[in-house]
Amino acid sequence: MDNQFIFKYSWETLPKKWVKKMERSEHGNRLDTNSDYLFQLLCFLKLHTYTRVQVSIDICGVDYPSRKRRFEVIYNLLSTRYNSRIRVQISADEVTRISPVVSLFPSAGRWEREVWDMFGVSSINHPDLRRISTDYGFEGHPLRKDLPLSGYVEVRYDDPEKRVVSEPIEMTQEFRYFDFASPWEQRSDG
Amino acid sequence: MFLRAIARPLMAGVKQTTGIVGLDVVPNAREVLISLYSKTLKEIQAVPPDEGYRKAVESFTKHRLTVCREEEDWEAIEKRLGCGQVEELIEEARDELKLIEKMIEWDPWGVPDDYECEVIENDAPVPKHVPLHRPGPLPEEFYSTLEKLQLNSKEAPPAVTSGESKAV
Repeated sequence: MDNQFIFKYSWETLPKKWVKKMERSEHGNRLDTNSDYLFQLLCFLKLHTYTRVQVSIDICGVDYPSRKRRFEVIYNLLSTRYNSRIRVQISADEVTRISPVVSLFPSAGRWEREVWDMFGVSSINHPDLRRISTDYGFEGHPLRKDLPLSGYVEVRYDDPEKRVVSEPIEMTQEFRYFDFASPWEQRSDG
Repeated sequence: MFLRAIARPLMAGVKQTTGIVGLDVVPNAREVLISLYSKTLKEIQAVPPDEGYRKAVESFTKHRLTVCREEEDWEAIEKRLGCGQVEELIEEARDELKLIEKMIEWDPWGVPDDYECEVIENDAPVPKHVPLHRPGPLPEEFYSTLEKLQLNSKEAPPAVTSGESKAV
């Protein structure tokens, strides 16, 4: 119920340049913006008296391979003062660089590293952009839709060389894809 | 019991603690608030007058300033505004000042000619077993600020009608 009021208020007060699309729903309010205005928008949301979102819950990305700007980086924010949540979304492609929000939300450091590691969306002037979840020599960005589920290399301990080596993957069984239209067994005669 | 009844007006003057970690008690909160709000009202003049931001800030800052000027006691201020403790109000006022400074620097005012914005009102019902996020009650002056904003925007023809996107 109060989602409506906060939504209307942010609609009236946010500078129109910053907002590309807004959605109000019981599932969560959403704000789409351009990557130029991301830092400014988040700064506004953090500092303004009536939208005090001081906590960033999560920064994640989504890959839509069919779109031109294929990634969407989503900032989930929480206002502890008014108990309201808001999602800010940005679309980016592989070469877009996003401004880091670490100076506003210190917890964003790890989230941005993760977005970089999993998707390849990097940040300009980020204080510490390293890989965070993948292996040390890993090439590629795992959560993109074009990296297969089992990856390209497998690691094993090689006794003659006395170290762990990575080799191209060898699966003994080919990938099985289950697509049952009904949970019951398929019957050809019906 | 009589001692407390006599001493209560005097006791209300000193605040022991805010109850929030990291937020110290400010003994002269009223003066600090009045100075911050007057500074805010001065700074906001740099923003163009049509903007919703300026109207909102002016409206609630003026309201808070009048309340602070009328009431002598921090407890009375807190009760009347209903917006949390005076130390929190001070923090909010300081952040708002910072924000105004940054907004003036970035200067995002004005609507570009080919502006189109899609406002989706998604009223799809959430299944009953999913816990809904219900925000708590908002302070009263939020509603009054919101009303003022909407009145003002209804006088001038709005750039976009909500619920539909305006194709150029």
